[in-house]
Amino acid sequence: MARKLGRTLSDDLGRWTLITLALIFVLLPIVWLAIASVKTRNAALAIPPEFIFTPDFSAYARIMSGGFLGAFQNSLIIALSNVVLTLVLGVPAAFALTRMHGKVQENLSFWLLSIRMAPLFAVILPLYVLFKSIGLLDTPIAVSLAHLTLTLPLAIWMLVTYFRSIPVDLDHAARLDGANAMQILWLVIIPIARPMLASVAIIVFIFSWNEFLLAFILTSRNAQTVPVAVASLAGTMSFDWPLIAAVSVASMLPALIFVGFAQRHIVSGLGSGAVK
Amino acid sequence: MVKDWRFWFVIPTVLALGTVVAFPTGFLLWMSTAHWVVTEPGVYFNGAQNFQTLFASSAFLSATGVTLAYLTLSTAIMVVLAFAFALALAGPHSSGLLRALMITPLVIPPVVVGFTWRFLLNGEIGFIGAYLLPAIGIEANLLAEPLGALFSIVIADVWSRTPFMFLIFLAALQSIPRDYYEAIRLDGAKRFHEFFLITLPMMKGAISVAILFRVIDALNTFELIYVMTKGGPGRSTQTYSLLGWKTAFQGFDFGAAAALGVVMIVVTTIVALAVFRRFMRGV
Repeated sequence: MARKLGRTLSDDLGRWTLITLALIFVLLPIVWLAIASVKTRNAALAIPPEFIFTPDFSAYARIMSGGFLGAFQNSLIIALSNVVLTLVLGVPAAFALTRMHGKVQENLSFWLLSIRMAPLFAVILPLYVLFKSIGLLDTPIAVSLAHLTLTLPLAIWMLVTYFRSIPVDLDHAARLDGANAMQILWLVIIPIARPMLASVAIIVFIFSWNEFLLAFILTSRNAQTVPVAVASLAGTMSFDWPLIAAVSVASMLPALIFVGFAQRHIVSGLGSGAVK
Repeated sequence: MVKDWRFWFVIPTVLALGTVVAFPTGFLLWMSTAHWVVTEPGVYFNGAQNFQTLFASSAFLSATGVTLAYLTLSTAIMVVLAFAFALALAGPHSSGLLRALMITPLVIPPVVVGFTWRFLLNGEIGFIGAYLLPAIGIEANLLAEPLGALFSIVIADVWSRTPFMFLIFLAALQSIPRDYYEAIRLDGAKRFHEFFLITLPMMKGAISVAILFRVIDALNTFELIYVMTKGGPGRSTQTYSLLGWKTAFQGFDFGAAAALGVVMIVVTTIVALAVFRRFMRGV
């Protein structure tokens, strides 16, 4: 008994040391960024750092005056339209995939998986040429469509795992009642899958909101997204650290809010999707 | 087939992905064989010239080295950390709040991650680079030195991407049946027996999937490096994706950049096939 108790005690000690260190590592940058965003320019650069200071919110006011609201608007339009596109295309496709068998299903799944693994850089150049030739460069539509390369295979993959767990008997029962495939999906499957659909929507939104490379290559001025704006700010020589920090903090908000609400779904969605 | 509802459910997705992925990939293959410099007139077939120039260039050679070093170092650190965190938090008593905190970096835009770490590690004004490190006797402007810059990027990347691996490992750990441990414990097994005889073998699939995703992710890493060092100092942090961007949008040589894109596809395919062959038969 004593030996067992000793073992759990030392186990717990090791575990909690590890967890504490991990939390410091994870939280320090976020906290430091948030602190820098409410300092004055000089205070943000002071070494040794000032731990006690009067908060100064002028950096957030400079977001408004500096013309960054447009970037937030673009990001919102792009991410929301991407979520809608991804779900409208992905939900029926994922459902059909789980109700198929044999070679067609195997080949389609493999094709989707290989797209998920394709290096982004491989599609960027051709997409740039394509969008340029049809005059869509620097528009939110171009970025939103381009984001489908990332979000659609991801969403289908997560949904397939989930739809498999819904018994086919439900389809059969509905079919006996005279429902067609569209009605089965809309009236039977989607109501059951609502929590899963919500978490897929959230994950897709975050992917699209955070994505940089495609948005960076495909936009120049008008359709600039928040990550692109952050990068161009960080690339200027006269550093306004508090302003960059404030834009960064603001850019994290949507994702952090969602994670707060849907942590459980994100954990199970991303985790199980990856293993199965 | 056309009468089958499943056809109509799948075809929009196939068309959409065909337009934004399959067609571009085919187009890339063609581009890689073309002489296509945006600032020069004329686009014409050039055979394997782009590949020959690419393989002979010192920039490609150094990018290969940097990509390999960055990939190996960051993946190794990530696997160890993610495994340790997952073991620490897999128990039935660990709270959802702790897990939520652990995965926060995953939802922070990598651009912001890059900026934050550049700010933290800066040798003159950074909390870590100019305050914590000197306090323990390390006086170095990490981002200004070749090795230091590479290491800084690895740290930022580990911070940003370990949570994803952690999620995969957590899900896998929780799916190992408890009875296995109870059975082996009855036979008098010690902690390290449990780990090496049950946990590790049962996690093989998850580890290989995680590494596969990691390799793909690392080949795609762009903004973190772009914001932190732009590939410098010199070429010390210039990976394939940075080199590709510079070739295409600063050197305006679309043909050469496309050739590099083809190389990246080949590398990804080789890694994916290796992982599938080795670990995922029958999955």
